[in-house]
Amino acid sequence: MSIALIGLKALVGGCAVVGFSLIGQAGHPKRFAGLFSAAPSVALASLAMTVVAKGPRATLPYAQGMLIGSAGMVAYSLVSLLLINRLHALVGSILAWLAWFAVAGGLYLVVGG
Amino acid sequence: MDGRQLRDDDLESVGFDWSKLRKASPPELLIRFVFGGGIALVAAIAASVFGPRFGGLFLAFPAVLPAALTLIEKKEGTTKAWADASGGVLGAIGLAAFAFTALQLLRANPAVALAVALLAWLLVSGGLYFLFRETGLFLWQDKRLMKSR
Repeated sequence: MSIALIGLKALVGGCAVVGFSLIGQAGHPKRFAGLFSAAPSVALASLAMTVVAKGPRATLPYAQGMLIGSAGMVAYSLVSLLLINRLHALVGSILAWLAWFAVAGGLYLVVGG
Repeated sequence: MDGRQLRDDDLESVGFDWSKLRKASPPELLIRFVFGGGIALVAAIAASVFGPRFGGLFLAFPAVLPAALTLIEKKEGTTKAWADASGGVLGAIGLAAFAFTALQLLRANPAVALAVALLAWLLVSGGLYFLFRETGLFLWQDKRLMKSR
């Protein structure tokens, strides 16, 4: 993958995250707004860039990896709920990354590697 | 956490107040851009080094959430941050629907596949949100989690 494509993916991914977060900021009530914090912003941007640069077939392994990662994201969200209740947002939501690594990493080793 | 504040928040109508965007601060947007762009960069580099399936994992990594939740907690309190995170659980289930739909359709027509996958995310996460809201599942979940503290 060229450095230009990697840089472009980062740029478009960052813009997509800002776009979805603005939709979330306008949303109410808060739980509804929270849906947009788990929007597929980076995925949408990255898959679209891969399609343009390498064609649709090249995106399939990315989508397979993402499906595994999204199981980790569900685990992360559930654990972060428990931890935010006890440790506040910053510590709770960072510690919950361990749940993502455990579930996504574990599943990847079992089925995706 | 304030149970009454959560209930009051849930009673609010569902929609978008676009005038709130006037209050969006450039430094906060920059933080989101940096974390969002950062994880896209990590995914692309990981794909280059370890293969696209491994890189794809990071397309569903919650890189922006700690910063976003911390900003909400700082401005509106822990209860609102928790409410946002509780919506995030349903959004994450929708994310799996996005990946599954994209995987099924990308080979045929990528533009349509990504549009339908985005629709799948919206329908699954939005559908679950209304299911939880209308059936009182949010209330049940709040009680269980507050009790477990």
